[in-house]
Amino acid sequence: MSRAIVLRVAREEWRYWRRSRLALVTLGVGLLIILIAIATTAVRVQTEHGARHDMQALAEARFLEQPARHPHRMVHYGHYVFREPPPLAVIDPGVDAVTGTVMFLEGHRQNSATFSPFFATALAGEFANLTPALVYQLLAPLLLIVVGFSSLAREREAGTDRLLYATSLSPLQLWGGKALALTGLCGLLMVPLLLAGTYAVATGESGGATAALLGGYALYLLIWALIVVGVSAWSSRSAAALLGLLVAWIVLGVLAPGVVASLAERQAPTQGKLRTDLEVARTLRDEGDGHNASDPAFASLRAGLLSQYNVDKIEDLPVNFRGVVAEFAEARLTDILNRFAEQRLELERRQSDAATSLSLLSPRLAMSAYSLRMANTDLAQLHQFLRSAEDNRFAFVQGLNKLHATDMSYVDDINRSANAESERRTRLNAENWRLLESFDAPLPDAAQRMDRAWPALLMMLLWAAVGGGLGCYGALRSAARVNA
Amino acid sequence: MVAVLALAAYAVATGMQRVAQQRDAVSHLVTLTQQDRTYANESHLEDPGSAAYYGFHLTFEPLSNLAFAALGRRDDLPWQHRIRALALEGQIYESDTGHPELAIAGRLDYAFLVAVLLPLFIILSLFDLEASERRHARRELLIVTSPTGRRLFGLRAAVRGAFLFAAVTAPLLVGAWLSRTDLGSLATAIAVTAFSVAVWVLLARLVTRTGADAATSAMLLVGIWLLTVIVIPQAGKLVIERSVAVPQGAEILLTQREAVNDAWDLPKAATMEPFVAQHPEWRDHVSMSKPFEWKWYYAFQQVGDQIAEPLALDLQSGREARDRRMGWLALLSPSLMVERVLTRSAGTDMRQHLRYLSCVRDFHGRLRRFFYPYLFETQAFGSDSLEQLPLYAPCGSG
Repeated sequence: MSRAIVLRVAREEWRYWRRSRLALVTLGVGLLIILIAIATTAVRVQTEHGARHDMQALAEARFLEQPARHPHRMVHYGHYVFREPPPLAVIDPGVDAVTGTVMFLEGHRQNSATFSPFFATALAGEFANLTPALVYQLLAPLLLIVVGFSSLAREREAGTDRLLYATSLSPLQLWGGKALALTGLCGLLMVPLLLAGTYAVATGESGGATAALLGGYALYLLIWALIVVGVSAWSSRSAAALLGLLVAWIVLGVLAPGVVASLAERQAPTQGKLRTDLEVARTLRDEGDGHNASDPAFASLRAGLLSQYNVDKIEDLPVNFRGVVAEFAEARLTDILNRFAEQRLELERRQSDAATSLSLLSPRLAMSAYSLRMANTDLAQLHQFLRSAEDNRFAFVQGLNKLHATDMSYVDDINRSANAESERRTRLNAENWRLLESFDAPLPDAAQRMDRAWPALLMMLLWAAVGGGLGCYGALRSAARVNA
Repeated sequence: MVAVLALAAYAVATGMQRVAQQRDAVSHLVTLTQQDRTYANESHLEDPGSAAYYGFHLTFEPLSNLAFAALGRRDDLPWQHRIRALALEGQIYESDTGHPELAIAGRLDYAFLVAVLLPLFIILSLFDLEASERRHARRELLIVTSPTGRRLFGLRAAVRGAFLFAAVTAPLLVGAWLSRTDLGSLATAIAVTAFSVAVWVLLARLVTRTGADAATSAMLLVGIWLLTVIVIPQAGKLVIERSVAVPQGAEILLTQREAVNDAWDLPKAATMEPFVAQHPEWRDHVSMSKPFEWKWYYAFQQVGDQIAEPLALDLQSGREARDRRMGWLALLSPSLMVERVLTRSAGTDMRQHLRYLSCVRDFHGRLRRFFYPYLFETQAFGSDSLEQLPLYAPCGSG
């Protein structure tokens, strides 16, 4: 019985919207913007994905088709890896827009990812990218505000709530009906996102992760619906409700991200890559140069090898000492590079965590954190790319160094700059370049992503409770006043 | 009003803090680079090739004295590099920018406040100005009794606008005084703030004087805000990017690498001919007696840049053209206009970024020209040669 009444209230509210030009126009424009954002983002992400995928294939083909040459030349010829946007980037491209897409892999160095998708775009305002994520996080709440701000305040302003309470309707039923009406609108708004999600699944995304992402957006819209009805319940006039809701939207939606970004930056400062590179350089000054086998830092390596093979001169070793040194030095260097790189990534992760814990301040921040993590377009995904790239780099460089050690003689190797015949003998067959592994950054499954995303989800649930409580309490309070 | 003042103060304070942080970080990097190069120079005194190979230089774009108000593209475009005398195209696109999640969250700096938030505050303070009096049936009475007559509401709106303007600019003035901002930049920033306030007060008046009720006015104004702050810049960006194509970054990188690496397997003349075409002064010094000589190595580094040059120039002119067209688009969007003017006078826009890149190119050219006489052995390389090593100095704006 009570459910039927709530539904009845909701239906009346929907009828009211259909008669309101403001509500219909806003809804029409809102849906149009949503569809445009989804279509343009899907096209852009697919184009980017295709281009980077093709470039990756090209880079691998180029490496394999290199002619016979000295393996150390291939170490410096290097390889390119491309960061492909994950399928759910059609909903939330996340950090993809501001991080490099291509990275050069070579011996002795860890480079940065260069050429972000926006590197050549002109400044297009603060909202640099009209994505479904932005539209749903920022504009959809505004739409709910416009349609729903007067839901309860209007009844009070006109005194119709007294009449309703005089019948068998309870304040909570009235609140429930209005909230249900707005929830129905949330459902309507979710339809385009559902299409985008289906598209992502069709292009290889996990169904679980997509469902969790869409569920997050549904919850987020519900939070705003509850806030809208809640503020409306507390307001005695529609205009006051609108003012209150617009202030809430500005503070929670537009203002909070910038404030939290600067707070997080202060709370957990990070260190740039140049700084790390220079600190690596300082550490390396004692480590020896892998190009120069007579460097004193390699003396013990040399003594060890000589005694292992029981010979007196490095020329008599069954392996090429230069190649051994290259392999040894690369491994040691990579240890140092990785140690510093991990420190830098750890600082970035902490800054991210600081920002996420501050996300409690606004449902938009919580949603944005959740969305990035479930769509796999967050910092962790970028770090995953960097680590996969490093693994790929280390594997092919060490493979080449091994060839350098085993497939040529030391005498030829040291004479190749001066003697053309030695130079010819140190060129290895192109077949060897097949050691390059094809690049693939793994896509974490739904559970792994939820592992990073659950705090944000919890924050959203808290906000939903706050919004619901606000509305229930507001409705009861105003009804008590009416009865008094 | 108090909230706006507090926000402006916060925006200016964090802006100044970020500027100070970035300046500290750069000066620390300068010191570290200096130490690194001193060590490299001392250990590679024997030959100019190694000295050039191991000697890194820090290039950077310094912050202007208005940068605290508009950090602009410094969050997503690289503004510092470690450069050495090898092929530049492989180095100049490296990027060391901040935390990407924070970069997409956006920053609350003065530019954001004036371009994005201030219009919303103006809408909030004006949408109900006339409608509330009408609701209380006081409007006609007020008009009749006021000495200003029908202009009353216009004046009230102007006064509120003036207060908001004062609340925003007061912290800016303090920040400018502390940062020793030059008067020209400061005047531009203040003028553009006044422009933003005036446009939005005018828009608010145009909408509210039609007699619409408060809710309709508010939604119309927020609709205009959405249109000018998000929709127009986005739509314009899409159109501009379609009409002005730029080469893919990866294409430049691969072209340059193939050129540099192919040289190892090509006859030496294939490198030296295009090299002397650009540097005829070394025509008589390119013959080689050994399979490897440094002069050939640096010659093919330069030839690699020469081969990638058309693409690099395309990229630069494409970026310039896109930025110019966006400037025209800004005529349709006050908020975009505000951001462009502020980032331009703060030196944090695309133009200044491109200027920085050409400054790096110039410096790299000087570095090369410094080493060529030693590499081509027209000048003896000695222990004191590196004292004349060119050092990077920022080019400034203009």
